[in-house]
Amino acid sequence: MSWHWETFVFAIVAFGILYWLLNKYAFGPLFGIMEKRRQLVLEQMNAAEASRKQAESQMAEQKAALEQARKEAYEIIEQSRLTSSKQAEEIVQSAKAEAARLKEEALKDIESEKNKAIAALRNEVGGMSVKIASKIIEKQIDEKSQEQLVNQYLKEVGSK
Amino acid sequence: MHHFPIVHWQGLNIDISAFLAIIISCVITFVLARLAVRNLSLTNPGKLQNFLEWTVEFVHSVIASTMPLNKVRPYLALGMTLIMFIFISNLLGLPFGIVTEVHDPIGWLGITSEDIQEEEHYALAWWKSPTADLSVTSGLALVVFILVHYLGLKQNTKHYLKHYFEPYWYFLPLNIIKELAKPVTLALRLFANIFAGEVLIATILMLSVWGIPFLIVWQGFSIFVGAIQAFLFTILTMVYISQATIHDEGAEH
Repeated sequence: MSWHWETFVFAIVAFGILYWLLNKYAFGPLFGIMEKRRQLVLEQMNAAEASRKQAESQMAEQKAALEQARKEAYEIIEQSRLTSSKQAEEIVQSAKAEAARLKEEALKDIESEKNKAIAALRNEVGGMSVKIASKIIEKQIDEKSQEQLVNQYLKEVGSK
Repeated sequence: MHHFPIVHWQGLNIDISAFLAIIISCVITFVLARLAVRNLSLTNPGKLQNFLEWTVEFVHSVIASTMPLNKVRPYLALGMTLIMFIFISNLLGLPFGIVTEVHDPIGWLGITSEDIQEEEHYALAWWKSPTADLSVTSGLALVVFILVHYLGLKQNTKHYLKHYFEPYWYFLPLNIIKELAKPVTLALRLFANIFAGEVLIATILMLSVWGIPFLIVWQGFSIFVGAIQAFLFTILTMVYISQATIHDEGAEH
């Protein structure tokens, strides 16, 4: 096996040129793209982490909001239950009061009607008894004193 | 054994087979790399791009095994060029050979009638692996040798110079021999492995038809050897660079 310095030098030069060409036209862009991809993956991982955290906080917020809404709904129901029972109570109360008032009025009316009827009856009876007495005793008595007399008698009768 | 076609031109001895092999290896390496990066894609890399990226990651991990991770980046392109060029060179001589038999003297190749008469079959081999030529592997080793010592001197001057006198000053000759042995072994190991592979292929070819099974087995093994040698050359280069340039504080005695 022989050793030629021409081949030796040519190999070195060729390797140098190959290294330069590869570095410029192949590895440069390739390393660039690999670095970019590394960045991209890193970014995406960070973004995923951020969105996960955001989702978690939103979830918690929504849970709190739901809890709040539930509480409010419960309160509203409770309140309405209270007011409705109170209103029912009031309605019943007022109806009772109305009924009592009506009854009272009716009783009063009855009383006054009765009194009126008694007074009318009394007048009627007084007139009739004057007519009867004037007819019976045929005595000339002025009507006024007669009526006084009869009234007096009737009072005596009523009080007895 | 075959002879190689050597052109004698203006006092230069140009080995056509070696020149041709070097050029073809370089072209294949460059075309392969260019094809791989033709349609670079960030999110959807093609098959070749994927393969080259895998190679880059492999070389990256190889270099990272010899030196701290933050110093790997500048040597990545060198490692890639070395491993790709040497691997392709190692495989170049495997698939076929071009051999011509010479019966008449050829003036421009310096073949005289005495040369032809000396041997029964004077044959010229036109096709081989560039790494099966000691001139080529020694050229690569010289590149590595110069690079290692230049980087050592430039980046790690004090410790680089000091290590020649360690552990005692009179170890200087031994240290120099050690440094010189590195490129020599680098060149000889690569050359011998690939050259031996090709010699064995040539020998098996002499068995004609009966050699086919051996040829299949040996060619398969040669691919494996070629890969191993490319890997070894690359990792040893990186180890040498790392030894020369990186001063490990923890290793101080």
